[in-house]
Amino acid sequence: MKQPYRNRVELLQGTLDLLILQTLRWGAQHGYGIALAIRANSGDILQVDTGSLYPALHRLERQKLIAAEWKLSENNQRVRVYRLSVAGKKKLAAERSRWAQISQAIAGILGPAGEESEA
Amino acid sequence: MKFPWGDGEQRKKELNEEIASHLQLAARDRESRGESAAQAGRAARRELGNAGVIQDVTHDQWAWTWLEDLLQDLRYATRTLRKNPGFTMIAVLTLALGIGANTAIFSLVNGVLLRPLPYAQPDRLVGTTQYYPKGPLVVMRQQSRTMELVGVSDNKEFNLTGSGDPVRLIGNSVSADFFSMLGAQPAMGRTFHDGEDQPDKDRVVILSRKLWEQRFQADPNIVGRWITLEGVDREIVGVMPAEFRFPSPKTELWVPLHLDPRDTGDYWGDSYMALIGRLRSGATLEQARAELKTMRPLVLAAYAWRMPDNSFVNATIVSLEEAIVGDARGKLLILLGAVSLLLLIACANVANLLLARATTREREVAVRVALGASRWRILRQLITESVLLSLLGGALGIGVAVGGLSIMKASLPADTPRLEDVALDGRVLAFTAVLAILTGVIFGLVPALGASKVDMTATLKSGGQRNASGGNHRASKLLVVGEVAVSMILVIAAGLLVKSLWILSGTSPGFRSERVVTARITPNEMFCEVPGRCLAFYDELLQRTRALPGVKSVAAVNGLPLGGGAEIFPGAIEAHPTAAGAHVPMFWEKIVTRDYLQIMNIPVLRGRAFTDADSAADAQAVVIVSKTTAEHFWPGKDAVGEHFRPAWEKEWRTVVGVVGDVREFSITQNAASWIDGVIYTPYGPHAIRGSGAAAPPAEMTLVIETAGEQLQIAGELKNTVASLNHDVPVSQIRPLKNWVAEAMAEPRSTSALFAVFAGLALLLGAVGIYGVVSYSVAQRTREIGIRMALGARRQEVLLLVVGQGAKLALAGVAIGIAGGLMLTRLLSGLLYGVYATDPLTYGAVAILLMFVALAACFLPARRAMRVDPMVALRYE
Repeated sequence: MKQPYRNRVELLQGTLDLLILQTLRWGAQHGYGIALAIRANSGDILQVDTGSLYPALHRLERQKLIAAEWKLSENNQRVRVYRLSVAGKKKLAAERSRWAQISQAIAGILGPAGEESEA
Repeated sequence: MKFPWGDGEQRKKELNEEIASHLQLAARDRESRGESAAQAGRAARRELGNAGVIQDVTHDQWAWTWLEDLLQDLRYATRTLRKNPGFTMIAVLTLALGIGANTAIFSLVNGVLLRPLPYAQPDRLVGTTQYYPKGPLVVMRQQSRTMELVGVSDNKEFNLTGSGDPVRLIGNSVSADFFSMLGAQPAMGRTFHDGEDQPDKDRVVILSRKLWEQRFQADPNIVGRWITLEGVDREIVGVMPAEFRFPSPKTELWVPLHLDPRDTGDYWGDSYMALIGRLRSGATLEQARAELKTMRPLVLAAYAWRMPDNSFVNATIVSLEEAIVGDARGKLLILLGAVSLLLLIACANVANLLLARATTREREVAVRVALGASRWRILRQLITESVLLSLLGGALGIGVAVGGLSIMKASLPADTPRLEDVALDGRVLAFTAVLAILTGVIFGLVPALGASKVDMTATLKSGGQRNASGGNHRASKLLVVGEVAVSMILVIAAGLLVKSLWILSGTSPGFRSERVVTARITPNEMFCEVPGRCLAFYDELLQRTRALPGVKSVAAVNGLPLGGGAEIFPGAIEAHPTAAGAHVPMFWEKIVTRDYLQIMNIPVLRGRAFTDADSAADAQAVVIVSKTTAEHFWPGKDAVGEHFRPAWEKEWRTVVGVVGDVREFSITQNAASWIDGVIYTPYGPHAIRGSGAAAPPAEMTLVIETAGEQLQIAGELKNTVASLNHDVPVSQIRPLKNWVAEAMAEPRSTSALFAVFAGLALLLGAVGIYGVVSYSVAQRTREIGIRMALGARRQEVLLLVVGQGAKLALAGVAIGIAGGLMLTRLLSGLLYGVYATDPLTYGAVAILLMFVALAACFLPARRAMRVDPMVALRYE
């Protein structure tokens, strides 16, 4: 079945990084697994575009926030697996609080407008 | 940069594999959900999208992103700067002035102090700090184990006769191995052979390239030709290349020293010269210094007479560079210090502009932070912008430096050492580039740190409202206070220098310089050895010159005041017998004709001036002394009637007059500090000559009182001299006041440079105050509106705004005074007649600065006064 495109949300730059880091917090994972996890955990709303995922993974790897190695999967397939580095864990903590600030700020802007429309 | 995957091809391969494994995983998932293998593969590929593009984009993550970031930053910075042309122009101009002034002064420092001397192994070259006669040179050359020593006379003048018009050339007598010691090669012919400084072998000369081109039409067969210099025939043996300019760029020829021990007076007592040398391999400067001390007793023992015990006692060895540059070093470093203060002010100004702008850019920064830019990334972007600004400033600054340098080179005294080496070379340009980048980082850092710390939530929440950030404003106030303080220091320094220049030009040099024309008449020394020939020549010349139209009166003197030359002789005072071995008083020798004192307007304070009778062969020998000399040797008494004689004579001479003091040596000193007095003798058989020669000097300078400031007599004067003697050159026909102006050139150029720095500092300081105050007015529009709505009068608003600026300026002035008291002490060597702590200067500068500051506040204050309370309250 084809997924309806209107449900896809364009992710802000930086937000995808946050999601990847957050996903890897539960353990090492390969790219396909990360994409699946994000989709599943967002209730199928956030579809990670592969064309954004791999550049993001490699960017994070280069920034030494995550580390990669080749492993064999359960069904004996060679896969590239990513895990969170120490710097990545710190970054994740910082990004989470920043995200909290942004959403608060955006909520602040949207909040009154929403109330008005309801009134 | 580390590539975890090794080379790029390997990485591409692995990336390919990673994407392929993604596809397989996706396809397997689909198969497990029941799709056919072919269907699953197609669907997975469709879902993935264009694998090639994904690989490319991913691969790019490993590229030189910092370079791309830099380019992106630069593009962004260019766009931002272009969008704010006013800001950009002011900032770039300010920086161009600061960096340009620094570049210009640094190229002076570079040329004079930093560039190595253009001789072989320049770091091994040394020089003595005192002059020595020929005898000591020969003794030390034999004794020294640490140095090869050679002698170099000061610039001397030589008559070139027998080839066209007689001309006066500048040359130096040097040891025969002078050129080989420096490692200098001739452009043509050869340098001197060893032993060519011995009598009878010294009839050789080497020409400078300039002289060879100008006087000898670049004759390729010049070597071997004979010319007549000072009546001596010499063979031209070589021509030096244009780059060889030792000891001075004025040098046109070199002749060997004439080392003749039989000429005792010349060999031991006269012709003092600089000694330079090369350290022998293994020898150090310290060893050479120690050796010079041990050689001193040997040198004194070699004299035929007893020298004062302290002779040469202060002499030491320094590097040749130091010996050449001498006092100029301190002055240049002071200039460099001053100009770097100027750059600091420029930096503070631009930092302030950026701070003010940072506030308006808060939202822009907040949005970028919200979009995921890190603080470091923002910081880098802002610094890129400021460095771009300063690089633009630097580029323009090079233009400023080129202009400034050519003005400076023209206005600096011509005898500034190594001025000819000053140019904008690679090192200067590198200095400018580093300076520009550093400047950009320094003035950009504070505003950038502030801006990148933006509180995103607050800024975004406040919507369109501006967020007055107290931190930035405090920083900009501090910057302005600092700026005013530094300007204050520079203006005080300029004030002190200008005041001392003013005092200097106000002090009379002791003679009148208006409507007097001078001319140097230079027969060969040999011409005067025939008894009476010189006397007759000058008698006739004075008479004929006096008859020229426009000439009121004329006299001759052996050397002009401030003319640079000095003849010194040891003397004795009847009232003050000199104890054996004690210091023999030395006297400045003035040999003048009858009307000299009257033409120069030197007052006769006691007794009388010379008369024609004093020059007669059978007349009693008499002298005239200067006022200071009379007060020094005969304090409280009338010097007239007292007795004096040169050290080598037996008969006493009577003092017949006391005349006013004259600035003989420099514009600040009557005679050099080590001279005890000034003695006038009449031109003729009774002239006292430092060389001890019996004949009167051959070379004299005419001082011609004219009806107006006219040099038209030049041609007629030359004809007159030529009609008397074809071989006598006439040179330096110029107004006497030019000599005085030249003597003032050094203090004038220093004051002028400082005045320019101070003017720029004032301007930049005013711009700084203006910027901060008008920014704060803009920020406080609403507050001012409320105040006015509540009934504040316009004057009160004016006071509010001006008071704010005045407070900043006052703080700056106070700090500046403290700084000035500390720093202007460095100037004391350049000051005359004014103390470095002169309260009048400090007060005047403080008032000036406050005035400028208040003027800078005036525009924003007027804007504040016009605030319409209604508009202001509705605003925002």
